[in-house]
Amino acid sequence: MQLAVRDFARNEIAPIAATLDREPRFPWETLRRMGDLGLLGLMSPEEYGGAGIDTLGYVVLLEEIAAADASHSTIMSVTNGLPQQLILRYGTPEQRTRCLPKLASGEWIGAFCLTEPHCGSDAAAITTRADRVEGGYLLRGTKAWITGGGEAQLYLVMAKTEPDAGARGVSCFLVEKGAEGLHFGPPEGKLGQHAAIATSVTFDDLFVPEEARLGDEGQGFVMSMTSLDGGRIGIAAQAVGIARAALDAAIAYADDREAFGQPIREFQGVSFKLADMATRLDAARLLTWRAAWLKDRGYRVTKEASMAKLFASEAASFVTDGAVQVFGGYGYSTDFPVERLFRDARVTELYEGTSEIQRVVIGRQLYREQGR
Amino acid sequence: MKIVTILKQVPDAEARVRSKDGTLDLSGATFVIDGMDEYGVEEALRIREGGADAEIVALAFGPKRTAEAIRTALAMGVDRAVHVLGDEPLDALATARVLAPLVRDEGADLVFVGGKQADWDSAALGPALAEALGWPHSDWTTSLTLGDGALEVIHDVDDGSETLTLPLPAVVTTQQGLNEPRYPTLPNIMKAKRKTLDTRALDEVAAAAGVSATSTTELRSAVIESRARRNVMIEGDAASAAAELVRRLRDEAKVL
Repeated sequence: MQLAVRDFARNEIAPIAATLDREPRFPWETLRRMGDLGLLGLMSPEEYGGAGIDTLGYVVLLEEIAAADASHSTIMSVTNGLPQQLILRYGTPEQRTRCLPKLASGEWIGAFCLTEPHCGSDAAAITTRADRVEGGYLLRGTKAWITGGGEAQLYLVMAKTEPDAGARGVSCFLVEKGAEGLHFGPPEGKLGQHAAIATSVTFDDLFVPEEARLGDEGQGFVMSMTSLDGGRIGIAAQAVGIARAALDAAIAYADDREAFGQPIREFQGVSFKLADMATRLDAARLLTWRAAWLKDRGYRVTKEASMAKLFASEAASFVTDGAVQVFGGYGYSTDFPVERLFRDARVTELYEGTSEIQRVVIGRQLYREQGR
Repeated sequence: MKIVTILKQVPDAEARVRSKDGTLDLSGATFVIDGMDEYGVEEALRIREGGADAEIVALAFGPKRTAEAIRTALAMGVDRAVHVLGDEPLDALATARVLAPLVRDEGADLVFVGGKQADWDSAALGPALAEALGWPHSDWTTSLTLGDGALEVIHDVDDGSETLTLPLPAVVTTQQGLNEPRYPTLPNIMKAKRKTLDTRALDEVAAAAGVSATSTTELRSAVIESRARRNVMIEGDAASAAAELVRRLRDEAKVL
């Protein structure tokens, strides 16, 4: 399966990555093909058109897509992640039947709307409201940095049904594109991952019927927290993929490029750098696989997922930075891929919880494990 | 109807292959299903998707690792497979002798063979198989329409193309342009693990059919040509260097 996806990613995605970076657009054509192959419903069961594979299989395949283009892997991880996982777990039979097959096939892309302009990691502080009206709710507020904004057909929206109840007042709603009162901002200007279009999303007294609430009232915060671990493992896998692409490019370049009469890989300054890059990449992959493997066996992986995400994202920055250095001046040139990989990698230290948040989580878990 | 697609596993042409002491060093090489065999698998699948009630069987000769190439074909949609297991390579004639009785036993109506095998660049297996079976054959086929008990094909010839009608059963070898092979989908890759892969030893297959599994071609030696680059640097400013480059390409290399 890994080889089949590698083959696809190398032939169909990698060749368009540089163009998508320069002329950003949501890559619908390749996403639909990913849907045809089963890459957009990897963990959904077969009865909903998914591939029904486990977390370990998922991260192995996500790495393959990320090694070809980070933007594709971001869109892949968002739509495979929360939208499908939460609908599967909390959805009514009607919600599952309506949404899951469309998401798994790539006919729909899913988006997750939690972050707001003033709060990212502090999810209980959201101010988007869902006020009860007859037959449903009125949504009011603005979300920020929504990957797939304006492109996705299904938006999972976290909003306060009880504004004064803190985390317990958050509920989740399914909003389909085209709903009256749904507005999108222009694509955000970003350092990297340009084709993973992100916009603000505004709900202007948008009516959602009762049946479009996912789970119970007040369940939204728990829903987004229980699924964080899986999301972090996914970002770790993405970071591993980006780093792998950079290391492969650096290995090839150091073999071809000559200086002072020999390939630069013969110089210890280069070979030691490559050795460090490769070692961190392998360690990052193993932490990622461990977290995925434990999760598949039903263990709570809060610490392991955060460790994988923290280490892999920092390894990706280290490895892509090292690749730029190995390429020398060409590493700074847009004619070569490594400057793009360097930019694409940086956000893995930010989204799904910054590195600082991961350290907070790991630190807290160290004591929890000992019952302190 | 029944369609048999012949498969061969070859070194991946897109991966780096090392040469050592004048021969290929295949240790550490990645192996894939031959690209031209994939055209045959794809065409068989399209015939079925076009409404034909067809069972598609892959048939391959090769060492144990050949099973990986067979799994690829199963994942693309082939129904089941037969693997004739033999560690030493056979030439096209011997391979055809061994595979022909199996094709006949299957009751095949149509056989696809890759137009050319990427490892030795030989285009002999398809014609040899047709000869061993005594069936009509279309080589370098770029288009194919299945009629009632017959097949209309367009195939490349030196001066262009020909349209032929072949009675079934027949052997068709593929040419680039026949189709664009699909990637296996993940659900189909998983289903492929449960499909039947019948592995049989070469000696037993040959003995049962009463044919010789020995190559008649004897390989005396093989040399890989390698050429050193000349690494010529043209001196001077851009305009005069360009003029000199054009002169060399026209007068010396004679490519302009």
